Amino acid sequence: MKFRNNRVMEKYSIFIVLFVMIIICSLLNENFLSTGNITNIIKQLSVAAILAYGEMLLIVSGMLDLSAGAVLALSGVLSVSVYKSSGSLIIALLVAVIVAVVCNIINAIMVTSFKAPPFIATLAMQTVARGIALLFTKGQNILQLDNYVVFGQGNIGPIPVSIIFLIIITIIIWYLLRHTRLGRSLYAIGGNEEAAVASGINVKLNKYKVFIINGILVGIAGVLFMSRVNAGLPNGAVGYEMEGLTAAIVGGTSFSGGIGTTMGTLTGAFIIGCLNNIMNLIGIDSYVQQIVKGVIIALAVIWDIHSKTKKTTKVVLVEEKEKVVSN
Amino acid sequence: MKRKLVSVLVGISMVAALLTGCGSANGTTKTEDKGKDGYRVAYIARAQSDSFAAWLANEMMAAAEEYDDITLDVFDGQADDEKENAAIENAITSKYDAIIVQPNNGEAQRPYVEKIVAAGIVAITTNARIDGIEGASSVDADPYAQAAVNAQAALEQVPQNAKVVVLNGPSGNFHADERRKAWQAEFFDKRPDVEIVGEQIANWNKDEAVQYMEDWIISNNQIDAIISMNDNMAAGALEVVAGKEEFKDILSYGVDGTAEAMLLIEAGTMTSTCLQSAIDLAKLNLETVHKLLTGEEKQIDTDIDAPLINKENVADYVKMYKDRGLIQK
Repeated sequence: MKFRNNRVMEKYSIFIVLFVMIIICSLLNENFLSTGNITNIIKQLSVAAILAYGEMLLIVSGMLDLSAGAVLALSGVLSVSVYKSSGSLIIALLVAVIVAVVCNIINAIMVTSFKAPPFIATLAMQTVARGIALLFTKGQNILQLDNYVVFGQGNIGPIPVSIIFLIIITIIIWYLLRHTRLGRSLYAIGGNEEAAVASGINVKLNKYKVFIINGILVGIAGVLFMSRVNAGLPNGAVGYEMEGLTAAIVGGTSFSGGIGTTMGTLTGAFIIGCLNNIMNLIGIDSYVQQIVKGVIIALAVIWDIHSKTKKTTKVVLVEEKEKVVSN
Repeated sequence: MKRKLVSVLVGISMVAALLTGCGSANGTTKTEDKGKDGYRVAYIARAQSDSFAAWLANEMMAAAEEYDDITLDVFDGQADDEKENAAIENAITSKYDAIIVQPNNGEAQRPYVEKIVAAGIVAITTNARIDGIEGASSVDADPYAQAAVNAQAALEQVPQNAKVVVLNGPSGNFHADERRKAWQAEFFDKRPDVEIVGEQIANWNKDEAVQYMEDWIISNNQIDAIISMNDNMAAGALEVVAGKEEFKDILSYGVDGTAEAMLLIEAGTMTSTCLQSAIDLAKLNLETVHKLLTGEEKQIDTDIDAPLINKENVADYVKMYKDRGLIQK
């Protein structure tokens, strides 16, 4: 019974953390639970959460993407630029997605065909993508976006468009990870790549697929980001890959691969989003905000390592017990 | 086979990088080689990724074209003290006649600018100046004056018992600190009735300012003015209140005179800004370096003007940006 309770706690601990946090935040500021503020929080975390899904999928399969922020900026400025010349929102959105997917296919080629570590390959892409964004815009912001802002600032009925994007993407990623062969393969690859190969999984193809999905997510995030700030910012979203990684890790994705969930990642994004929001609402100093965020990340990683160690110990104990019984 | 392919690809890319490097090696941009004996000037830019720094570098090259006896090479410090210091050392080794440094972080570059002086090379620090280096000259925009002209205008414009929010630049940045000091001395100290209901560092960034303002309007139903240390952050905060009836009379102040700020002032959304003109700064830098190189003067410390831009005179500046293609006609 105790073991079962521990499993429940382990599985739902991240949601409990968020729940407790929401209660504390609502006590700290009366406006925290207002509709306007909740909408704000979700709008603010939508870009980071979309990036976090990409990072989560990559981490689950044993990789990561350090180029997300720079590729977001590149796809965003190119999308803005295409919108200004074509006037078509659909084409602008497609351009952003295509550019980000191309960048991610290059990442995938470096990682799968040339066996470059994802850390180095995507770091190289980060520099290249940022460089192209700056070269293309000559370092200047692109202004006068007109209707392009509908993606990041518009509403469909009472719901902001960015939140609708987030909901749809969350459902798709959840379905993909839980109910498709690709999702199961990613866990297998991240858990033990050699075993995955031995069991007949096409690791290379699946890595390509996950980078392409990451590209689609980064492209959409690029459009939401630029339309939210009503400008094409070649210098924008610096370090946003860290926001995505943080949300994924806080949400229980394990850096050693094979572990991570959609709802956990979304909850991680909410924890970071609520934290940022409440610190602003109650006027906490910028420097203190950085310290608090750093502490939260450290605690999440310690929790991750601690829970894994416990699991490993349990497995070893069971295996030893079985050996004794068989002898 | 794969190894051979990799070797070939690496080889091709290295050759390509070297060939490209003829035009821009290590982030270097060269003006057209005039094939003449003249003064070689190195300009070490803070970061070509910074939109103002990029604009200034472009204007420096344009201004250098006006001088037949000056060849200007631009190097990119890439917003990194180590890289900027290395670029300064390389320029000293390459025996340039003058080196203009736009510091990433004044104190980090100070010993390297002192090395320029010690090597007998003309040294200028610009945007922002590094004070107190004997033998070095400086060309800058006075950040205190830039914020002060806005603060003085705000004294009359901001209503009694107003609630305001303040957006700061990165801490430790000379321009960010001086602009904030000016607002304190020229406005907040003289208007004790004004309450700051939110103040954060948004690092000059529009997206960070958007997020802060979104939170501030939740916790405060009255905000009378946005006081920002640059235009980018002011524009971000204004983006949040755009179209909201309760904030239709909000005042907002910035600094830099960006193209976006001109459009906002023209539309009546933003109250005022102060132009930090990269064009004027570049012209004054070239004028200064020319005077120093020709021996006309030994040391110069000078500033460009800090003109206030508001509804009355914005049309002139909109035209300036239109002429440069930074605002669509």
